[in-house]
Amino acid sequence: MDRQTRLLEYLTSGEAIFGDVGSRSRNPLLQGFDRALLHIEARFSHEKRMEKIAAVFPKTFALFGDDRDAIVREFVHACPPVDISRLENARQFYNFLISRWENRPPALRYLPDVTTCELAVAQVRIGADSPLAVAKRPTHKRPARNRPSEIRRSPLIALLHTRFDVRPIFEGKWGDISPIERVVPLAICFRGGEIGIFELAPEVFDLLAALDTWVAVDELPNAKGLIADLGEAGLLEERR
Amino acid sequence: MKCFDLLEVTIDHCIYGSATQRAEIFDFVGRIPINAHGIGLSIGTDVPLDLAYLDQVAAIVEQLHAPTYSEHLAFTRVPGRDLANLLPLPKTVAAAESIIAKVRTVQSRIGVPFLLENISYAFEWPDSNLSDADFLNLICRESGAGLLLDVENLYLNAQNHDFDAYEFLDSLAPDTVREIHMAGGIAISDAGLQRSFLADTHSHPVPDETLDLLEYALSLYSPQTIILERDDRLDATGEILADLERIRLCVDQWSKHV
Repeated sequence: MDRQTRLLEYLTSGEAIFGDVGSRSRNPLLQGFDRALLHIEARFSHEKRMEKIAAVFPKTFALFGDDRDAIVREFVHACPPVDISRLENARQFYNFLISRWENRPPALRYLPDVTTCELAVAQVRIGADSPLAVAKRPTHKRPARNRPSEIRRSPLIALLHTRFDVRPIFEGKWGDISPIERVVPLAICFRGGEIGIFELAPEVFDLLAALDTWVAVDELPNAKGLIADLGEAGLLEERR
Repeated sequence: MKCFDLLEVTIDHCIYGSATQRAEIFDFVGRIPINAHGIGLSIGTDVPLDLAYLDQVAAIVEQLHAPTYSEHLAFTRVPGRDLANLLPLPKTVAAAESIIAKVRTVQSRIGVPFLLENISYAFEWPDSNLSDADFLNLICRESGAGLLLDVENLYLNAQNHDFDAYEFLDSLAPDTVREIHMAGGIAISDAGLQRSFLADTHSHPVPDETLDLLEYALSLYSPQTIILERDDRLDATGEILADLERIRLCVDQWSKHV
């Protein structure tokens, strides 16, 4: 077990992947291995992992520019792989980036917003495809006329504030438009088989954010019309 | 669908995949025979098997009506670190004994025959003292597991590690091979290597050398199924269908010969 652990530590290290200087290769438990072949294994596994991560963050990776290699290298040193899944590796990468940008803000100041949106898109996409979500997916029938007695925010949406309006980047308009700096309350949801990212009015955002758990509609007497609209848009779940 | 005689389903996609993916997979049940293949067992990790995972596998194998369940003779992770890539085991009697015990556990929980697959590997453990074939024969003979012979992996290993693939086939116990995998990979170069390294990427046409090995394997064994593995460049349907035809031709030629 100890040898397997040391081997995996080595194969996931910058030393094995990039040939960085390090001390792991001097570990006596690794004596006798062919280092060139371990490097091939390490590189191959690393590339597969980064493919998974880049699939979640295509826009972020495109916006890294010349920093990309340095960022990936730092990530390898900071965050060895702990899970096979695409989303878990993406979360690791996201947490790493946010932590990195706290100390060294990116050249493109709107990049953290883009990255946050991309992770939220991946989470919403997976959430929308969960067994529970599929079972609850609307069937395009007209809703019953009865008023819901309780509502909550749909678990198939993500709410977030961005510091820049990065929606043009997700609408294929990047390159032409530089995101405008302003706080934007956003909802990301899965509707009609597609991911939608749209701006919410601040009061709507606050209402949705507050609806973590089931709330009796009677407790919101002034929001009747808004609740109907939000339900229609798939942002609320209703039960009677 | 009419191009295929059977499908192989990756069990882990049924366990961890989305509801849509699972629905699409289970939609095939009853329409075409299905083989069940796993990638998440990590039977070679030197800790007890994950019994909860095995129970999930058992349930899915039953749902798929799969006649066998196969996994890789490899390890992919240790507690706290997951390479998500198949790594070789030391080819020693001690490692074989550990695997044999685990195979028995698998067999006690899964209701269909269990097969182990030979992997392609980049490196060897320095203390390996058995040949690839002897290691597989020992495990299969003592545990009763069958062999899922990946002919492409055999070809790659023989090329990368300088051994004779035909001798390997001659050395396998005749009744061991129950299923066969075919695939095509790529050559990767690296400054640290004197020659290209062949990698099992399931992304390109099956090499002629691998087809030749298949033909020879068919002269020795009677596998129940042959699967063409392809999980990249799936839009190259012409390549995939051509590979199927080449494999079918190989099987037909051998059938006529017999």
